Amino acid sequence: MGIRFRSVSFSYPGFGKGFYEALRNITLNIATTGEFIALVGQTGSGKSTLAQHMNALVFPTSGSVEIFGKTITPKRDKKIKYNDLRRKVGLVFQFPEYQLFEETVEKDIMFGPLNFKIPEEKAREMAKTALQLVGLGPQYLTRNPLNLSGGEKKRVSIAGILAMNPDMLVLDEPTSGLDPYGKKAMMDLFRSIRERTDKTIIVITHDMDLVYEYMDRVLVLDNGALVFDGEPDRLFRQTDLENLHLDHPATIKVLRTVSEQLGIALDVYQKDVVGAVRELRKAVRP
Amino acid sequence: MVVISLSYLEIRQLCFSYNSKRMVLKNIDLGVKKGEWIAILGHNGSGKSTLAKTIVGLLRPQSGSVTIDGIELTDATAYEVRKKVGIVFQNPDNQFVGVTVRDDIAFGMENLQVPRAEMEEKIQFYAKKVDMLPFLDKEPSALSGGQKQRIAIAGILAMKTELLLFDEATSMLDPSSRRELMSYIKELHREGLTIIMITHDIEEALWADRMIVLKDGAVFADDTAENLFRKPEAFREAYLELPTALQIYYELEQTGDMTPPLAETLWALGSGR
Repeated sequence: MGIRFRSVSFSYPGFGKGFYEALRNITLNIATTGEFIALVGQTGSGKSTLAQHMNALVFPTSGSVEIFGKTITPKRDKKIKYNDLRRKVGLVFQFPEYQLFEETVEKDIMFGPLNFKIPEEKAREMAKTALQLVGLGPQYLTRNPLNLSGGEKKRVSIAGILAMNPDMLVLDEPTSGLDPYGKKAMMDLFRSIRERTDKTIIVITHDMDLVYEYMDRVLVLDNGALVFDGEPDRLFRQTDLENLHLDHPATIKVLRTVSEQLGIALDVYQKDVVGAVRELRKAVRP
Repeated sequence: MVVISLSYLEIRQLCFSYNSKRMVLKNIDLGVKKGEWIAILGHNGSGKSTLAKTIVGLLRPQSGSVTIDGIELTDATAYEVRKKVGIVFQNPDNQFVGVTVRDDIAFGMENLQVPRAEMEEKIQFYAKKVDMLPFLDKEPSALSGGQKQRIAIAGILAMKTELLLFDEATSMLDPSSRRELMSYIKELHREGLTIIMITHDIEEALWADRMIVLKDGAVFADDTAENLFRKPEAFREAYLELPTALQIYYELEQTGDMTPPLAETLWALGSGR
């Protein structure tokens, strides 16, 4: 099952003349379970548009997207219940914290389930479970979401999506605006959600350090085309990253400079500071 | 009483709270000289954005004062003072007003009653600066987050303000647009603008002359990067993270696995020298 993109292209209608082609001939398979995928690429490369295809929020201009067995084509199909698909693939937008609006955290998290006609008592229960899943205690249920910190707000809005019990989670830049500790805490949260539920999680990000340290698979978009699909380590060993408008993770950059300037051989492909320190220790110790 | 000050921006004993329960800003004292570039760092919830909003007069402090170019910010002076300051927010959707990109860049200038012909010239000039010239007739909703941000920046630059405040304005940009923007800010700084940059990105903060570290609503440190990096424990105490090269540096130093050339290379990398 999962999601299958078959030669998907998508164009935004332009003002006056022509179209803006946001996705070009994308073919791609994503499994329902067990994947932790980073979606990266330059600003405007089509990442958000691709994410919005994953739960039928937008329809392809050509090609098709199969979502849990239902085939989405440019033409609407009256037999497909699109809302069901949107519930199966939970999409968290950029800055979801701006969408919090209820008086209490509990009401905010319950909003989605109630909207999908889940009885109130059941929705209340789902809210509690979801809040726990994002690492916040039940004392938050009665808090006003507007008085929470940025990181807490993000967690509450993610809980709102998790409460609908989606089969898959897609998050558009969930770490932007967080401080370094907040970023790591967020990634640890996704890791733990994945370990507990085995649901596939797809994260849009610009942060190559996080991609290298946390993710199993990376999709690179460049000007609307899928130009890489594989393990982060393989991506970062490529030399033409600049052509894809991507940066190397900081650990690789630091080790590479040290290796060049001091003329010592190092395995520069270290995923985190711990790995980089280990590698340098080996080189320094007699 | 006449206060003679060398600072372009002078903040004295500033206190702010959204409700009476918790003080968000506690007795902030801060001076920024004309033409200076400072970075404000701090953990989520440390009060950075609130401080920014009090500087541009969007929030009124309970006590203390904000003085810009010798004029204290009050209800009576707000209009005049605000012309001197421009703010770029983290999320450009919160500041988009125009139907097209052109309208949006024009908005601030319209408020300042810039003549139409001059306005069009400026729109072209600043759209080009932020690499958005081909998008002038596009609807903002058709743009990606980073593109919107560049338009917001163009709109503020077009007003020729003297003090530019960036509230995590680059946090949504990809590395290459971020580098582009940073080098452009550097150019603005060279042209004499005073820059205040609120950021979580320590590498970005290295571009500034000085770093202000906020912790729990108070000024925790105010020093150059070089001096701050010499106190890693203070950095941790403020919930900040050192640049990767310096994290590695201190780890190696702790176990004595260091040679002088390695120390020098890592330090130079981390402190941006």
